[in-house]
Amino acid sequence: MSILLNQKTRVLVQGITGKIGSVQTHWMLDYGTNIVAGVTPGKGGANVEGVPVFDSVSEAVVATGAEAAVFFVPASFVLDAFFETVDAGIDLIVIVPEHLPVHDVMIMHDYLLRQTGRDIFVLGPTTPGITTAGEAKMGIMPGSLFKPGKIGIISRSGTLAYEMTGILTDSGIGQSTVVGMGADPVALTSLANILKRYEEDPGTDAVVIVGEVGGVQEEQAADYIKRMTKPVAAYIAGRFAPEGKKMGHAGAIIRGTQGTVKSKCETLGAAGVTILDTPIDVLPWAKKTGH
Amino acid sequence: MKLYEHEAAQIFGEMGLPVPERVVVYSPEEAKAAAEKIGAPVVIKAQVLVGSRGLAGGVKAAETPEEAFAVASRIIGMSIQGIKVEKVLVTKKVSFQKELYMGITVDGYRGQPVVMVSSEGGMSIEEVARLFPEKIGTRHVPLNRGLMAFEARKLVKDAGFPAGQIGACADILVKLYQIFLRCNALIAEINPLVILQDGTLMAIDAKLEMDDSALKRLGKLVPKDHVRNETPMEKKGREIGVTYVELDGDIGMIASGAGLGMATMDIIGKKLRPANFLETGGGITEELLYKTMDLMMMKKGLRAIFINLYGGINPIHEGAKGIVRYIKEKGVKIPIVAKALGNRQEETWEILRSGGVHVVEEVPTEKAVAKLFEVLS
Repeated sequence: MSILLNQKTRVLVQGITGKIGSVQTHWMLDYGTNIVAGVTPGKGGANVEGVPVFDSVSEAVVATGAEAAVFFVPASFVLDAFFETVDAGIDLIVIVPEHLPVHDVMIMHDYLLRQTGRDIFVLGPTTPGITTAGEAKMGIMPGSLFKPGKIGIISRSGTLAYEMTGILTDSGIGQSTVVGMGADPVALTSLANILKRYEEDPGTDAVVIVGEVGGVQEEQAADYIKRMTKPVAAYIAGRFAPEGKKMGHAGAIIRGTQGTVKSKCETLGAAGVTILDTPIDVLPWAKKTGH
Repeated sequence: MKLYEHEAAQIFGEMGLPVPERVVVYSPEEAKAAAEKIGAPVVIKAQVLVGSRGLAGGVKAAETPEEAFAVASRIIGMSIQGIKVEKVLVTKKVSFQKELYMGITVDGYRGQPVVMVSSEGGMSIEEVARLFPEKIGTRHVPLNRGLMAFEARKLVKDAGFPAGQIGACADILVKLYQIFLRCNALIAEINPLVILQDGTLMAIDAKLEMDDSALKRLGKLVPKDHVRNETPMEKKGREIGVTYVELDGDIGMIASGAGLGMATMDIIGKKLRPANFLETGGGITEELLYKTMDLMMMKKGLRAIFINLYGGINPIHEGAKGIVRYIKEKGVKIPIVAKALGNRQEETWEILRSGGVHVVEEVPTEKAVAKLFEVLS
């Protein structure tokens, strides 16, 4: 079991003919992902790694029944690609590109807030994507790190998700689904919303949050975590991040006293989360929770 | 990108906000001339991108052009929070009856702009929130609708703005929101907005931060000089294409991702002090890591370098070649410890070892940092 993505999910790749799009399509197929279509305007009729390419998302959906989309388009094209994809009826979108203007992200967020009758789930921007261990992956996570199991991981950072996954796999502990929620100031799905999926997933029995300085996602999720039945642990990176400096991610910036490691750890700790002082501390916690 | 006050005031003025007459100057002589042109008394304000410049003595009035010369010679060259003042803004000194506050920022969690107003201006909004929470009004703005004048009127009225000024203040707030949109701003703020003796309004400070990711499409709105609050090493990092944040320790750190970099600093920091945060992003090449090594070695007093790479989207074996080429060409003497995992890791380890790098093959960064502690002990 898993959340959001499994080996049957019919995946479409936006920007499949680009340099990164084609290479990552190869790796996603190699991992077992059911990629049914690619889209690049003007390249309809071509194929990449045996995947048929269409001129538009709606044509691809009609022809292949695609139900999830992963974006490898330049940041300035994402807003357009987003509306094209939701209009074509796709409800799971993974936005890998970084450096999107925040105002564009707010326009997408605003649209999602006012949606009724659909359950659109968007990861990113600036996400490594989502991987269901042993089944499928959308995005750029290196497949070799994963091992099927029952721990869910949500991370704001790509490389740190790899580190946490790698530490668990190295000790023989598997994962259900690993999700990158994105590292921008505005995320299109809240941390609490992703936690809810894990809480409801019979294939996940504990969750690790990998957070970092900046924003209030971790703090805002605390109320939901109090109601969760599954154990949750969290590691928050950035004890040495100075105030007012962007730590590589647009969203990883402490403004005044907001977004510090201290604030996040205190709020999560009060909600019953096990705070990991350093990533490797995930191992004793995983053993204690029965893994 | 944070704008200097004079740059923000220029944009505010062009977009219809009332801003005082002003001149930017770089020397006491120019300050004196500016005071003569504008007409004394004037206020001389340090142009730096850090807060609390007033408390630091960076904002002073001058009653005559001669005094403007004297004040400017004290402020130009002074250091405010470690930043040297290179230019000052000379503005007409105005007398006012009241100070107000207006600001718009991005609420990242709600994913919407949030407008804040207060009938207590002149101090930081955090300070007002602590002292007079009842005098603050807040409103989130749905982007598909924008901020309407009637909403702005209600907001300032509820926050206790003077009855006679509500229409005019609401008009300014709506314009500030339009500037926020037009500039793809992360912050647009007037603090204070003052009511002059004759009852008219004036924005006597201007704060604007543009989104770095939107600068390309903002075109001419973006000030030409991009160097903002950077140390020389941070500037060099930006030029070669990595994120470098200078810290005060002596252990250099290179990571191939932001989260990994922050975690690596946390782990090193348990016993030693990181000298920097450095993140390469997903564009590693041999050349990039050669230049990155060169940047690292600019830092004085470095005791060791710790390298932490993942080969997902990055070709780490190429990066390793650049590191080793640098070590061999420049004869680096300090120890280097590296962890590199992912695609072509064995090849990467071999290359690094050929340059005398201590390679740790284990997965947890903690184990690799333990090696660093051992090498240095």
